[in-house]
Amino acid sequence: MDTTAAEFDIELRLLLDAIYQRYHYDFRGYAHASLRRRLRSAMQHFSCGTLSHLQSRVLHEPEAFPALLNFLTVPVSEMFRDPGYFKSLREQVVPMLRTYPSLKIWVAGCSTGEEVYSFAILLKEEGLLERSLIYATDINPVILHQAEAGVYDVDRMASFTENHRRSGGASSLSDYYAAAYGRALIDPALKKHVVFSDHSLATDNVFAEVQLVSCRNVLIYFDRDLQDRAIGLFREALCRGGFLGLGSRESLRFSGHSGAFVDVAREDRIYQKREAA
Amino acid sequence: MTPADFDQHAPSRLPLPAGTLAGLLIAILAVGTVALFSYRSLQSRSEAANLITHTKDVIQQLESIGSTNNAAESAQRGYLLTSEPRYFEQYNRASALAPAQADRLTALVADNPEQLARAETMRGFITTRLQVAAETIELQRTGDSAAAMALLRSGRGIAAMDAIRDLIVEMSTAAQRLLQQREVTWQAAERLSLWVTFGGSATLIVLIAIAAVLMSRDYSARQAVVWMRTGQMSLTSRLQGEQRLEHLGGHVADFLAGYLGAQVGAVYAVEDAGSFRRIGGYALPAADTAIVRAGDGLAGQAAKSNHTLHVMTVPDGYLPISSTLGAQNPRELLISPASADGVVQAIIELGFFRHVLPVEREFMSRVSEILAVAVRSSRDRTKLEVLLAQTQQQAEELQTQQEELRVSNEELAEQSRVLNESQARLESQQAELEQINSHLEEQTQLLEAQKEDLSRAQTTLTDRAGELQRANQYKSEFLANMSHELRTPLNSALILATLLAENRDGNLTDEQVTFARTIHEAGNDLLALINDVLDLSKIEAGKVELSVEPVSIATTVDSLVKTFEPLAAQKQLAFEAVIAEDVPPRIESDSQRLGQVLKNLLSNAIKFTEQGRVTLRVSTAGPGLIDFVVEDTGIGIPPHQQDVIFEAFRQADGSTHRKYGGTGLGLSIARDLAHLLGGDLTVRSESGRGSVFTLSVPAVFQARPRLERPAPLPPSPPPPRSTPAAPSAAATAVLARPAIEDDRDQLAPGSRRILVVEDDTRFAAILRDLAREKGFQCLVAHTAHDGLATAAAFAPNAILLDVNLPDHSGLTVLDQLKHDPRTRHVPVHVISVADHAHHALERGAIGYAFKPVDRDQLSEAFQRLESKMTQGVRRVLVVEDDPRQGDSIRQLLAADDVAITVAATAAEALAHLKQTTFDCVVMDLKLPDLSGGELLEQMAAQEDVSFPPVIVYTGRSLTADEEQQLRRFSKSIIIKDARSPERLLDEVTLFLHQVEATMPIERQRMLKAARNREAAFENRRILVVDDDARNIFALSRVLEPRGAKVDIARNGREALNALARRQAGRDGRIDLVLMDIMMPEMDGLTAMTEIRKNPVWKTLPIIALTAKAMRDDQEKCRAAGANDYIAKPFDVEKLLSLIRVWMPK
Repeated sequence: MDTTAAEFDIELRLLLDAIYQRYHYDFRGYAHASLRRRLRSAMQHFSCGTLSHLQSRVLHEPEAFPALLNFLTVPVSEMFRDPGYFKSLREQVVPMLRTYPSLKIWVAGCSTGEEVYSFAILLKEEGLLERSLIYATDINPVILHQAEAGVYDVDRMASFTENHRRSGGASSLSDYYAAAYGRALIDPALKKHVVFSDHSLATDNVFAEVQLVSCRNVLIYFDRDLQDRAIGLFREALCRGGFLGLGSRESLRFSGHSGAFVDVAREDRIYQKREAA
Repeated sequence: MTPADFDQHAPSRLPLPAGTLAGLLIAILAVGTVALFSYRSLQSRSEAANLITHTKDVIQQLESIGSTNNAAESAQRGYLLTSEPRYFEQYNRASALAPAQADRLTALVADNPEQLARAETMRGFITTRLQVAAETIELQRTGDSAAAMALLRSGRGIAAMDAIRDLIVEMSTAAQRLLQQREVTWQAAERLSLWVTFGGSATLIVLIAIAAVLMSRDYSARQAVVWMRTGQMSLTSRLQGEQRLEHLGGHVADFLAGYLGAQVGAVYAVEDAGSFRRIGGYALPAADTAIVRAGDGLAGQAAKSNHTLHVMTVPDGYLPISSTLGAQNPRELLISPASADGVVQAIIELGFFRHVLPVEREFMSRVSEILAVAVRSSRDRTKLEVLLAQTQQQAEELQTQQEELRVSNEELAEQSRVLNESQARLESQQAELEQINSHLEEQTQLLEAQKEDLSRAQTTLTDRAGELQRANQYKSEFLANMSHELRTPLNSALILATLLAENRDGNLTDEQVTFARTIHEAGNDLLALINDVLDLSKIEAGKVELSVEPVSIATTVDSLVKTFEPLAAQKQLAFEAVIAEDVPPRIESDSQRLGQVLKNLLSNAIKFTEQGRVTLRVSTAGPGLIDFVVEDTGIGIPPHQQDVIFEAFRQADGSTHRKYGGTGLGLSIARDLAHLLGGDLTVRSESGRGSVFTLSVPAVFQARPRLERPAPLPPSPPPPRSTPAAPSAAATAVLARPAIEDDRDQLAPGSRRILVVEDDTRFAAILRDLAREKGFQCLVAHTAHDGLATAAAFAPNAILLDVNLPDHSGLTVLDQLKHDPRTRHVPVHVISVADHAHHALERGAIGYAFKPVDRDQLSEAFQRLESKMTQGVRRVLVVEDDPRQGDSIRQLLAADDVAITVAATAAEALAHLKQTTFDCVVMDLKLPDLSGGELLEQMAAQEDVSFPPVIVYTGRSLTADEEQQLRRFSKSIIIKDARSPERLLDEVTLFLHQVEATMPIERQRMLKAARNREAAFENRRILVVDDDARNIFALSRVLEPRGAKVDIARNGREALNALARRQAGRDGRIDLVLMDIMMPEMDGLTAMTEIRKNPVWKTLPIIALTAKAMRDDQEKCRAAGANDYIAKPFDVEKLLSLIRVWMPK
């Protein structure tokens, strides 16, 4: 590693420490490779030559932090993303969920909410929505606000519809949104079953017992320790026999908690907690 | 002139604009006309003036003529009179003038024939006159004055003179008349001239004014064009560069308002949804609307119709202009849509205090397109930026995924490397193993040889054993025969001794008599001994035949009372026999043997008791087991001797024998008989405090299998000493008290017991404390013997065993335990200094730990024991009214170690629960007598009913309230569905095998808490606001036993309702609120804020519960109105102290 890269890493750690102490957002357990790239583009945006300069700005200009937060989080999502995942949920998880009198589902790292509404639609189609509550959590309040609004570009709906169909959706996706002026507004009736809240997998604790945790493409941004912490939270939150769904590139394989789970749909990264609750 | 004309810059052939040229020409024409008229009038005036002057000259000439004539006359007369020359001269001058004057007059009046005639006449007269005069003068001069006078008097001269005068007058009059006429003409001419002058001036002024107006208009039009150009250019320069809509809007609003002098302004840009969002404002009031929809309001209308709206009368409150000093509506509004390619991109709204000029409207319509293009491009740019950001983020995610994959790959590679290594290691191990194998094979061969040797030896041994058994039998037979043979002579000896003692002949001294009595007593003792030996040997030889028959307890006891009451009375002891009510009247047993044991016990009791009482108590010890308890207040047996009293030929104290007599075989026989009867004999005693012997016999005799076989196989030939052989769990019933205090006297029914066999008291104490901490009740034994005895007596659920015990190896104990059907299932964990792990595990221990052990290892040992001990038979109660359903559940759960009971009604279920402890209950909600919920409530309410984990298994879906109600009692609710059997099986299995390490502790704690309910909680009402069943369950379980009443609300709204309801109701208000933060419908922060809004609840203590760990979350809670804060997962004690702190006193 050359000197500048080493310096950059020092500054990176200092910046993350500063953010943690000043704003209580803990990015110290995030994968550094990705953080480096995202902070480099943030430096461009803030016209800062060095991370130290950026750090100084973030410390002294509280209004700069939300903007930086948008760089530190990567909100990429779509409805029924990876249809196979949702198909497996329908086929293998939903029948078990039917045996619970009431359901709680935690979508951790819900980003702009596409997945939250996918779950709501899936549950509605399976006749379970009325007894369900979905917790949608994310660390970025701005993004959470967008998720709560539930407004998406109508151009994206075509691919969402295709995903939905491939996920085994029985109804038409268009039943669940109203399009106008180039925007698609998610049916507010779905939102009644969703609680949006900011929650950090790095610092916060379990808040409820849930039957299903879906946390996709979040762990990839974490280092191993933080991944373990997050999975530990899921493990604690899940009831016995509860399900955990991860992103297509994520796995429990290397986690210290792998022993507590068994594969349900290996390809679709769906696991079931098998230890005593 | 339209503004468009200004745009036409094509060069004209005219030197001036046509209009200007025409104007100039008209002006020139007008000036010429005016000049002409002026000239004419001047001319006529001058003519009139000339004529007047001429006439005046005539008059003057006439006057001159008159005066000259007069002068001539007077001079003539004077001369005539005086003849003075002076007059003559005067006359000469006058006469010289007169003709000239007349000529001049003639000349003057030449233009007037009338006058001319008069003038000619007059000249004639003048000439006449002058001739007369001249004649006179001449006469005079000549001195003829009289002639002269005569002439004069002739009057010729006077007549002429008069004619002249008349003519002068006539002519003057005519001239005067002419003069008057001419003056009139002159005046007319002058008036005309004046009119011409005025008219000309006025025309010129008009023309100049027209020219001025035209020029001014031209100039201002040019100014407007310049102004608009400048404005357009400035705006364009302002809009240059990449600007976001917000900046753009601000700039545009500032500029336009400034440039147009508007007092207020706003700029709206079109949104995707067709509405318009304000992107900039100028002096806007704070509360102005930020969104305008097409068609809504004036701005919306302007956008819809794409026309500028100029509003002269501004609606009230429309775009008010405000400053810190007040607000005022603008007088006029200009709302201009900015469109590009026919699409409205923005709306500009400006308010003025003054009238809006057309040029300003024009300017607005011109800049609108510039603005529209700028807005459109800014929007396009923003869209592009968003797209770019999305692409970048997707790329970021992809890259991170790749990295994750790479890391995973690396880890995989690492794993496979490790695998490879371990494979290599395995291979080498395999090679090693192969070697060992071959080695083992050799050894096997060797062993085979040894085995052959051994089997030979075994045959020999079997032969020997047979021989031994025969020898034993011979011995017993010998003993039987022998005693018989002994009794015969002894009998004689006894009789003789009696006779001697009677001293019938009286020939014996007292001393001799005493000797004889002694012989008799010794003989009696010997006889008793021989009898006992005989009994013992009979029993041991298996020669005792039992005659089992119905035995009346009352009869048995009565006969015993009859026998022993006198004996007791002799020693002044109280004797009492008590038969408990639940003892069956008859049992199946051997009455003779039973009586023998009891007699033995009672005689011992009376024998060893000096004062106090002896009691025989009959009671039921368990299902089908009857206890005969003999209790005394005698000398008791010290603990270390309790194990030996049952052994043949050993008594508690050597001196006892001497003091109380007896063979010492009685208890051995009694115990053996007790075993023979299928029961047991045990003792509890304390030195000096009396003893309690308990004979337990089955109500219905059952031969004990272990008694069927000969006494436990001695591992070696019986030792010569009479000390016990290897301790037998079965045969050992004497219980020594351990050196440290344990729980044997406080054993709770149904509690989990652990036996610690450990000779080191300190370590034993450690294990005991740890066991209690883990929720076990603990029994302690220090020797192998005691260990086995305690295991047999108290049936512990698990055993911790030391190997190095003072009397025997722990391994022997382990062996014994594993060979006894009663203790076989008890899991044993071994702890030792030496490595006996292999042996211990082979013998059935579940685990092994080396001393010194640390706490973690011990915990692990407990863990293992716990998990193992739950593997016994498990009982499940199925409460289901539909027999087919019940049967299917039974089949689903059926397993070797599961006993399933089905109850069809709630009453039946309660009855079962009263009798038996179940590990798990599966319950349908639909029951004929009670609903499932009511059944649960009853189970919870009734103290004598055990409350195992309950699984609600129901076919109908539950409302949230129902579920909450059930959740208080049941951790698991299953809705019947396709996959529900799977889950039911899973949950039941979980409950049956679950290591409920925490539950008993919790339960104990709860029990403890229930006993001393806290004043701080007693009858206080706590509102728990939480939507998580797990938390509600836990909180109710903690709070309710302390006397608090718990209200539940699942979200903020329900909490507010509950508070209001309680506030209005009579049965107590809410004293304290526990508030979760993350909840549906209304979260905790909002709820707290709402609660604090009501003055009644200003001081209501609220403790927030949250999963968030950060300091600012705490601050948020406090800001919302929480008094305090506790982070999840919360510590129960901490929560309780918080409640104590905040609960209003």
